[in-house]
Amino acid sequence: MKRRRSLLWVLSLVALIATYALVARAVSRPDVLPPAQDLAGAFAALVGRGQAPAAGGEHQHHHHSSDQVDTLLQEGVTLQASLAVSTARVLFGLVVGVPLGILLGLLLGWSRRADDYLHPIYVLARSVPPLAFITYIMLWLGHSEAHRLIPIVYAVAVTAVIPTYHGVRDIAGKYVVAARSLGARGRLLLAKVVLPAAAPAVLGGLRYSVAIAWMTAVGAEMLMAENGMGNLLVGGGMWSSRLQTRSDPAVIIVGVLALAAAGWAMDAATRLVTARLTRWAR
Amino acid sequence: MTGAVKIRRAVIGLVTVAALYAFASEIGRGRLPDRVWLGAHYVENVQLLPTWRSLAEEGTFLIESGILPSSVAVSTRRVMLGLLLGSVAGILLGLLTGWAAHVESLADPWVTFFRYTPALALLPLYVVWFGYGEASKVLLIATNVAMITLLGAQHGVRGVPRVYLDAASSLGAKRWLRFRKIVLPAAFPSIFASVRIAAGLAWVTIVVAELIDARMPSLGYLLALSGAYPRVPSMLIGIATVGALVLAFDLLALLVHARATRWMGRAG
Amino acid sequence: MKANAAPLEAADVSYAYPGVAPTQALQGLNLRVKENEFLAVLGPVGCGKTTLLRIFAGFLRPTTGSVRCAGSGIDGPGRERGYVLQEQSIFPWMTVRENVEFGLLAQGLAEPDRRRVSDELIQLIGLSAFEAAHPKDLSAGMSKMVEVVRVLATDPSILLLDEPFGALDAQTRTRMQDALARLWERRKKTVVFVTHDVEEALYLADRIVVLSERPGRVKAEFAVGLPRPRSLETRFSGALLAMKRQVWDALVS
Repeated sequence: MKRRRSLLWVLSLVALIATYALVARAVSRPDVLPPAQDLAGAFAALVGRGQAPAAGGEHQHHHHSSDQVDTLLQEGVTLQASLAVSTARVLFGLVVGVPLGILLGLLLGWSRRADDYLHPIYVLARSVPPLAFITYIMLWLGHSEAHRLIPIVYAVAVTAVIPTYHGVRDIAGKYVVAARSLGARGRLLLAKVVLPAAAPAVLGGLRYSVAIAWMTAVGAEMLMAENGMGNLLVGGGMWSSRLQTRSDPAVIIVGVLALAAAGWAMDAATRLVTARLTRWAR
Repeated sequence: MTGAVKIRRAVIGLVTVAALYAFASEIGRGRLPDRVWLGAHYVENVQLLPTWRSLAEEGTFLIESGILPSSVAVSTRRVMLGLLLGSVAGILLGLLTGWAAHVESLADPWVTFFRYTPALALLPLYVVWFGYGEASKVLLIATNVAMITLLGAQHGVRGVPRVYLDAASSLGAKRWLRFRKIVLPAAFPSIFASVRIAAGLAWVTIVVAELIDARMPSLGYLLALSGAYPRVPSMLIGIATVGALVLAFDLLALLVHARATRWMGRAG
Repeated sequence: MKANAAPLEAADVSYAYPGVAPTQALQGLNLRVKENEFLAVLGPVGCGKTTLLRIFAGFLRPTTGSVRCAGSGIDGPGRERGYVLQEQSIFPWMTVRENVEFGLLAQGLAEPDRRRVSDELIQLIGLSAFEAAHPKDLSAGMSKMVEVVRVLATDPSILLLDEPFGALDAQTRTRMQDALARLWERRKKTVVFVTHDVEEALYLADRIVVLSERPGRVKAEFAVGLPRPRSLETRFSGALLAMKRQVWDALVS
């Protein structure tokens, strides 16, 4: 049964690629649906060391010296560098944001009093999309890395609160009762009972944090960065001239595929780590 | 803890934050820089922390001039359209793929591709395909919403306890009836939760899409414009308005959920 | 510790769950638990038995009236009142041994000391083979016994058990009841055992207290004069049957 499923999966993937190729051929508008060679060409151009393909040279479609590709290559942007930069931003956001979110979630979940006072503020804070106030932050910090990273950290932290809160409040409750009747207090209670009890919920929610981190990072890069995948997708150039660069769909598709691959990889890693850490769970 | 105590504490918390901000804006008045470097030039007279009063004045201006209401209308319309399109498509597909395992395997590569792509990344592509304007934005939201609700519906269908279905079968219920009367209600909570999440993300998406392709009137345009001058009170009010709308949608979703599950009885 | 003070005493205790429409769980309840007695608290569903136990355990404060432990007021949970919840609360992230040793860890005992105690207790319930297993590999009955000895490890003077065997099937329940009876007969403690099963109460207890329907108060009291140690014979004895009828009548009337 499983083998048949995987077979169907592969067939479907092949069908997806084939359909794309056919439709692209049929529609015959390389500026909208670039044929496979264009995709390959764009990929090659972006992965290469920032050299513009020789005029006329190996590629027949001068389509690849599109505005977008040229602008990017002129700035020395490559696919791998962009991916690396974006990944770095995402990881930073996770490393800083997740603990912050967990701390807040612990506080709100543990103390009814703190929850009563702070929860409404939290709800307001999480309602504002961090990318909405990125322009405001820019006024304070200028065009700096911090100004791009803060929304990512914020989004991650706000997302990580929810599963932690749920884990502490709903799940850990009965274990805490049992532990306190055994004489456990303070740090022992927190470290040996509350955290492990909430762990499956927290780790389960990690996947959402990862997804949000990617989304916010790409968004921030599209708006306000000269590097990273978001920047690559909107075609390089400075903020004000972004819309002037004519978009090359081949670049975008290649970029999106690369992002999907990176997102999948990080999600798989998260799932692995989660499974490893919660081996005791049913 | 009675409800009254909770409300009182909530109010205290909110009022404290408001007061702290007022305090900060007063101190800031004298001390914060009021020149901002905007990449090419300095701009004078920028209030980095506008006082509550100037926010109120600006807010009144924005509302009375019709700027805020029309921006809200445009952005909300896009979000709702995208939500509607996306959730219908996503839920139907999710129900189908959750129920029929073979279909699921067929659809999986497509789902996986869209699932791991941050929605915003598709914006440039949609712009190429559908041009600047309504279509690309609404479709972008719809895609994102469809993805999330598909997963929610799929999860909901798969999560139906086998025993319910077996019990129904042994009572003679045919496949379609089982689906309608057992699977759908049981899947409702998961579907609904995913719609709620999707709504939040729809707002994130629209704000960024409108910031990148800013044309009036829209909330994103308001943010972009007030960022360009910069006119901080407008910016903050725009940000707060987005937040308020997200909150409103979320509360509405909670309300609908409570109503729905009430006359459905406790679903599991 | 005041001399002659009862290990547990509830004086005119009332408890109302807060909310829009407060639920009165207990009303005017008076109860005095005797030293080292096995007391069963019997009552219909929803009569407040769990609430009473939670109050004794220190997790709830009575709305009116007072509860005392060995003469002093109860001010929160404590090691001297070991509490086994109704829900499964064995720590799934710890092994059986780690679970049993947890209370000792909280006390600050060193590893070899903890080991000694846990060795004995794990053997007592016959789970030596499972000492390194995680709860996901245990049956419900086994998990419950681990919870019971986990609480015994800290040697509390009072044991509060809330329908511990309620979720088990009939045979397992019988075995667990036997195991508990053996345990108690070996190391006498004051036990307050909540149940809705009349036969279970008769088999295990020295005294039975019957609670009324909500709001709960003490409706009837029975001294269980059955000989110890209790055995299979006891379960089928005429004496138990006769008492069963009496207690049942008190419960449902």
